[in-house]
Amino acid sequence: MLLDVTLSLLEGFGTTVELFALTLLLALPLGLIICFGSMSRFAPLRWIIKTVVWIVRGSPLLLQVLIIFYGPGLMFGLPLLPRFTAALLAFVINYACYFSEIYRGGIQSVSRGQYEAGQVLGMTKSQIFFKVTLLQVIKRIIPPMGNEWITLVKDTALVRVISVYEIIWMGESYIKKGLIWPLFYTMVFYLLFNGLLTVFFGWLEKKLDYFK
Amino acid sequence: MKTMVKVLALALTLAMALSLAACGGSDTDSDLAYVKDKGTLVVGMTDFAPMDYKAEGSDQWIGFDADMARSFGEHLGVDVEFVEINWDNKAMELETKAIDVVWNGMTLTEEVKKLMSCSEPYCLNGQVVVVPADQAANYQTTESLSALRFAVENGSAGAEQLDALGISYTAMDTQAKALMEVASGASDACVIDLLMAGAMIGEGTSYPDLAYTVQLNSEEYGVGFRVGSDLVETFNSFWKEAYDAGTVMEVAETYGVQESIIEK
Repeated sequence: MLLDVTLSLLEGFGTTVELFALTLLLALPLGLIICFGSMSRFAPLRWIIKTVVWIVRGSPLLLQVLIIFYGPGLMFGLPLLPRFTAALLAFVINYACYFSEIYRGGIQSVSRGQYEAGQVLGMTKSQIFFKVTLLQVIKRIIPPMGNEWITLVKDTALVRVISVYEIIWMGESYIKKGLIWPLFYTMVFYLLFNGLLTVFFGWLEKKLDYFK
Repeated sequence: MKTMVKVLALALTLAMALSLAACGGSDTDSDLAYVKDKGTLVVGMTDFAPMDYKAEGSDQWIGFDADMARSFGEHLGVDVEFVEINWDNKAMELETKAIDVVWNGMTLTEEVKKLMSCSEPYCLNGQVVVVPADQAANYQTTESLSALRFAVENGSAGAEQLDALGISYTAMDTQAKALMEVASGASDACVIDLLMAGAMIGEGTSYPDLAYTVQLNSEEYGVGFRVGSDLVETFNSFWKEAYDAGTVMEVAETYGVQESIIEK
């Protein structure tokens, strides 16, 4: 029994991890683009980006998932995206916006003096970014990134609202068969996975523990 | 300034494209033709024994509704695909064509009839009150229920009954969770389908310590299609044929629901 349940929950957790990994893969770079947009000197672009970030961060991810999946069909009679794709799209947009703010915080925390020093030495803008700023930014954004990644693992549970069969869905399906414990057993999977992430981020922080 | 104009122009073009797309969404075509053309009938359901469920260790959906859906697919000459949906979203799933039909022991409530075009009823059912077995004797009348703390599936036929009686309750997202509430003691009682109660509670089932008492109403099960769909008619004549041929009762006996089937 335990083995059966574990296997079926693992199947659900596969979907959870897939959503987690693909979201990171796409949202990490997209976040950087949004971040540059939100710091752009071209005001209209900055406003648009800031409005988008406000809408995305200011509304529940659950609603965003529902809108992206059902919205095209309800509003325009268009064919729908596959369920998993819609879920992924909602997550990528949502997390890219959060990441963009983390990046922005990191970039703006590097003191003005360092840019000026770079300029005095005759470095170009991109040289300053890659050789002076970037490593410091990475080091500074590690703790908030760790937070977001762990939140992301748990947020994946929302996608069962559009019938993406992740681990909580699998756990809940046992309730109908009269088994209550599999739902709570799913917690072990989350804890183990987030434990790994915590260790990983701890290691990363140590690794980047230079220039104080 | 020039860039501002460009941005404005872009925004306007986008708005126009969107409104055009909105106009393109008319659905005058035949739903029957749409399904036949696609070659699959996508059936939206939930895990709900004895209507739709999977046998131990099997990946195949079986049950009275699942088997009849397969037979309807054969009648149409299309494949049948089952999708387990979030029951709260059934109307949206239909409307957006994520599924083609809701077929899962669905009670024909006023709400359901407003949101979908429904088939003629094919099965009788009722809502019953479930309490711990050792207290069942105290709750045999509708009047005795008012002091109980109820759990019931959100928007279900059971919730409608409690609303009508003026009894407040905690809304759950499935009937199964409502049962779990009672089993765990979080609520005193719940209201679920008679068919489900028959299959899931009492001795020899998953919840041996629960029992059902008062039946609050009687109601009918039907199949839901998109509003205005011509599949409704196709379905009704298919069902009549299958009933006359004896297939309906044969399948019903396999799953022990023959008592509830409506004579055609």
